Amino acid sequence: MSVEESPRNPQNPLPRAEESAERERAVAEALAEYVDRVSREETVDIEAFCKTCPGLESELRPLLESLNEMDEAPFSESSAPKSKEGEQLPERLSGHKILGEIGAGGMGRVLLGYDERLNRKVAIKLLGGRYRAEESVKTRFMHEARALAQISHPNIVHIFSLGSQEELPHFVMEFVDGVSLVEAGRALTLRQKADLMRKVALAVDFLHEHQIVHRDLKPTNILVSADLQPKILDFGLAQHLGSDTRRVTRSGEIMGTPDYFSPEHTVPGSQFDPRSDVFSLGTIVYELLTGSPPFHGETLGEQMRRIREQDPTLPRRRNPEIPGDLQDVCLKALEKKPENRYASAREMADDLERFLAGEKVHAVPTAYSNLMSGKIEQHLRELEGWREEEIVSEHEYEALRKGYGRLVEREDAWILNARRLSLPQVSLYLGAWILTVGAALLFLFQFVDLSGTLGVIVVAGVAALLADRGLRLWRSGQLRVGIAYLLAFCLLLPIALLVAFGAYHLFAKAAANPDWELLGRISKTFKQTTNAQVWWAVVLSLPAYVWLRRFTKSSVFSLVFAVMAAWLWVVTLMRMGLLEWIDTDPGKFYFRLIPAALLFFATAFAVERRHFPNDSRYFYPIAVVFTFAALSGLAGTHKPYQEWLTARLPWTRGQIEYLFIINAGIYLLLEVICERFPVSQMRSAGKAFRFAIPGHVLTSLFFLGLAATERWEDQLNNLLMQREARVFEMLLPAAALVFVYGSIRKQMKNYFVVGMIFLAIGLVRLQQDIFKQRSRWPILLLILGSLLMVSATRYSAIKMALARVVRRGG
Amino acid sequence: MPGGKMDSATSTFGLVERFKKGETEAFSLIFRKYRRRLAVLVHYKMSPELRGTIEVDDILQEVFLAAAQDISNFTYQSPGSLMAWLSRISDHVIVDAARYQNRGKRHAEEMLRFRSASNPAGPDPVDPETPSRVFARKEGVQILLKKLDDLPAEYREMLLLAKFEGLTTKEISERVGRSRESVALTLHRALKRFRELEAAAR
Repeated sequence: MSVEESPRNPQNPLPRAEESAERERAVAEALAEYVDRVSREETVDIEAFCKTCPGLESELRPLLESLNEMDEAPFSESSAPKSKEGEQLPERLSGHKILGEIGAGGMGRVLLGYDERLNRKVAIKLLGGRYRAEESVKTRFMHEARALAQISHPNIVHIFSLGSQEELPHFVMEFVDGVSLVEAGRALTLRQKADLMRKVALAVDFLHEHQIVHRDLKPTNILVSADLQPKILDFGLAQHLGSDTRRVTRSGEIMGTPDYFSPEHTVPGSQFDPRSDVFSLGTIVYELLTGSPPFHGETLGEQMRRIREQDPTLPRRRNPEIPGDLQDVCLKALEKKPENRYASAREMADDLERFLAGEKVHAVPTAYSNLMSGKIEQHLRELEGWREEEIVSEHEYEALRKGYGRLVEREDAWILNARRLSLPQVSLYLGAWILTVGAALLFLFQFVDLSGTLGVIVVAGVAALLADRGLRLWRSGQLRVGIAYLLAFCLLLPIALLVAFGAYHLFAKAAANPDWELLGRISKTFKQTTNAQVWWAVVLSLPAYVWLRRFTKSSVFSLVFAVMAAWLWVVTLMRMGLLEWIDTDPGKFYFRLIPAALLFFATAFAVERRHFPNDSRYFYPIAVVFTFAALSGLAGTHKPYQEWLTARLPWTRGQIEYLFIINAGIYLLLEVICERFPVSQMRSAGKAFRFAIPGHVLTSLFFLGLAATERWEDQLNNLLMQREARVFEMLLPAAALVFVYGSIRKQMKNYFVVGMIFLAIGLVRLQQDIFKQRSRWPILLLILGSLLMVSATRYSAIKMALARVVRRGG
Repeated sequence: MPGGKMDSATSTFGLVERFKKGETEAFSLIFRKYRRRLAVLVHYKMSPELRGTIEVDDILQEVFLAAAQDISNFTYQSPGSLMAWLSRISDHVIVDAARYQNRGKRHAEEMLRFRSASNPAGPDPVDPETPSRVFARKEGVQILLKKLDDLPAEYREMLLLAKFEGLTTKEISERVGRSRESVALTLHRALKRFRELEAAAR
């Protein structure tokens, strides 16, 4: 396509066309010239350029301007290199010859000086020219020098002298021949990095011990010498913990390097403490490991927001070679809340040392659970969608949801660890157990050397130590170990009470019938510990468990509480004569289990309704077990129950199998009740009841059938007996079939399996009686089975055919 | 600086040399100097489908990342050769991006290393000065694109080559296979039309 044919070329009238075309060509030529020069990266001034093209100026200039504007960004280019403080370096400072400049810090420049008398290089920090007039900055500058002068540590730069009043404000310090931490880090192995950071953390801890918070820890403030010794420099922002800081740092003034700020840095006027430095150490570890700082925003405000709110990208995601333990240490230091961080730089150094020794670090960063709960919520939403779209069944959904729910609980950090058996782990729990058994011996047996108050002191002392240590460990974030100590305390507490009761003869009055005493009954060698003592020991221990649950927010103490409460019920029954009932009338005991079951149900339900599902999940199983035990025991041994059956339903002949069938009915009722509650654990309890139904019904029918057959065999001519036996023979496979098909509705696999087994038993029993010696029966079964299988494969066709028949019939 | 000699430290050559010596600041200056031009170029180099799935900013980020890594292989031959080099890199990056797109969304993440609107989970750019939110920030690029879009294809192409690729008229004439004179004329008309559009927009 030629130029002349280009679209919409406005044509001038013919006579002037030639002139106009000529002019256009001239402008185009000038434009081309301009474009060429700009393309060669020459700076061309439009004004000057237009002057070289006389007569075309008016036409040319707007075009050139448009061309230029096209790539002009509306924001100002502010990145022109900052003009260096064009100040001449002084010849000498504090008598040292100035050799040159080696760097610039926050408030001034660092010069290289030479101490001619001692023949060594020194570094001299000189306050920048524009700060000298500002008294507050000058104060801060001198403050840095004084802060530094007070301490001496191999990994902290030494200060030699403070400049005199007459000279420019400066101080002289040790010259460190090294490179910045991050620069050095590039060439180091992970272990070397960890060791370097351990030294840095120890040095920072040393500062903290001297009541100094550095507040501006960053890689450029830490030099590393050739022998891998780090040195912390630049104390421009260091702050004496005790001193009034507001004089130096006006509130609202933010100082430091934003990349390594701690969250509390970003909030003006907030308090600093050593944990702010721990955070900065975390950012440095992060940068050492991954190559860049954890938080970065485009603007200062954005940067601050990220430091405050954003969880850092997991280091391992940036570099998968980073060991998980090192990542844990890093994230623990980077916790947003100071109380979640290492309490001191030393703790961080200790963890780094653990890593270097190949041991498990103690850090358990919350970042994981945050990360997980975020992702899990997303999964749960998806899961919900899948359920609605029926990609997953209701049961699969429930199971997955439960599994996820367990993952996000905070306490699971330690549970997870507790599940992983390691040598220290096993030793920890073994120790707790031996301790408990040892303590138990004290109340079980009489010791001559360790009787009375002495025994009490020993046991109570151990218990108190355990509690104290456990709480401390828990507070310091070592959840797993802390829980082990506290659990040992939970077991030791009632034991200690028992020992005390024994020593001071409290509640020592034996029950009305000495045979009711549990320990006395087990063996006469035991010390006389009464049921009342056991009862009181448990009762007095229960509040401690509640308190521990509230303090640690760990539901494992609810488990302890639930188990102890169940035990308390049993002890209560013992005080009422349980041991006698077992011999004479066990039904009495089972009957008194019913209120316990109800109480546990009520507690579990109340706890769950108050949104503590982790706690209630320990009460429901106990409630269910109590219910099963009570109802089965009643049916098996409770005399009034059996008498009622015989009196009211004489045709049952008082066979207890009927009671078990009634129990199954009760379970069905309980299940229906449980199902009505909108809480998931109640439904699980209902499911447990439902689970027990087929076994109860089918086993009872089987035994009833056997009994009926036996009676009939005794009186072969009794038609009534015969009919009864036959009815049971038919009833067993029929009921089994009901359960087999009943498994469909609620997906009860045990209905299916149990039904199948009893169907087989029923079929065999039919063969033994009605179809004795008849080959037709097995052949019939073969045909029936085949038919069922075929019809199952052609299910839809049969269904359609049936529907047609029905419609035609209608 | 009317007609004055440019400061050698801030000329492209100077910047490239400074960056090769390890001055990261120089690279961020290079980036600032070229990003808007490159953004427009990248926009037109991308197919409309690709534009729908990948941000121009992401491509830019990638281009500058590749450029920073590869700067040692770049030799400064003539003025404008850096822009031509960046343009070539962006061709590769776009082709790669398109390929990843075709292979499935999953793979696009492998390329989009940095955080951006289309990759919110990505890490932040390493160089704090380079997050190239040219498009995201309302820097008038969208307005410029709108005007360029309204131009006839031939005119637009001419402006892209001359202004954004930074070719001389001679280079353009070689590229499109027409005389230099004809290129100059088309460029002139393109600019005039562009001004008309600008006037209409006001």
